[in-house]
Amino acid sequence: MSLTAYDCAETIRRLNDYLDRELSPEEVEMVEAHLATCEHCAAEYGFEQVLLGEIKAKMAQATMPEELRARLQAFIAKARD
Amino acid sequence: MAESVSTIRPFESELAMVLDTAYRVALRYTRNPDDAADLLQEATLRALKSKDTFVPGSNFRAWFLTIMTRLWWRMAKKIHTEVDVDAGEEPEVYLYQQCRAAGLHPETIDPARTILAKLDADQVSAAIDDLPEDYRAALALNLLENLSYQEIAELLECPIGTVRSRIHRGRNILQRRLWAMVQETP
Ligand SMILES: [Zn+2]
Repeated sequence: MSLTAYDCAETIRRLNDYLDRELSPEEVEMVEAHLATCEHCAAEYGFEQVLLGEIKAKMAQATMPEELRARLQAFIAKARD
Repeated sequence: MAESVSTIRPFESELAMVLDTAYRVALRYTRNPDDAADLLQEATLRALKSKDTFVPGSNFRAWFLTIMTRLWWRMAKKIHTEVDVDAGEEPEVYLYQQCRAAGLHPETIDPARTILAKLDADQVSAAIDDLPEDYRAALALNLLENLSYQEIAELLECPIGTVRSRIHRGRNILQRRLWAMVQETP
């Protein structure tokens, strides 16, 4: 069975699921088949992928206060004994 | 070695390893560093007490986050909201459209990086904290923890379609907020 590639609307509809790796292997294949031939959708996908990475990176900058970390580690160490 | 033995880390090591990202999730849940610290501490103590209920080899991160999420619900006196229908909201690609309209073309520069470089971590967090609670929770778990929609659905006790629509819709709202912030940033 040969798969038909998605059109633009079908491709964009799957953008978030694609980025979150929630698509089936067949769907991934059809999305990528479309991206290989459509500059527009490829640019949008590229944009969203970078954007998502940047948002995740900013969110990961929040760090636990050292005082809290020490307290939690003490609880864990105590439980281990 | 003849046999491949899957390495199961000691419970305490697993726990120590999830605390950093769990703190970030707690921050987005509570939107307040003091409450986040309280929540994470309670969750840690509860996890140590409930050690026997963890099935070795299963997903520790999801197990711990379930404990923390239940505690947060209790702390926030959260009433389970009605399950919203899977609206299946499509990506608006709002930021992308705005960037193109503003002349930031992907062919010449990297617009997504250029845009986000204008905002600091606190601004991005504030944009997420502005989202309705259910969207915020789903998005925090999605962006900070490496969990599937199914795992998030189990954690938040709602159907996977609800998680999907909260994440997708949450991203659409988030993009509009981020763009507004970029416009306000000198
Ligand atoms: Zn296309």
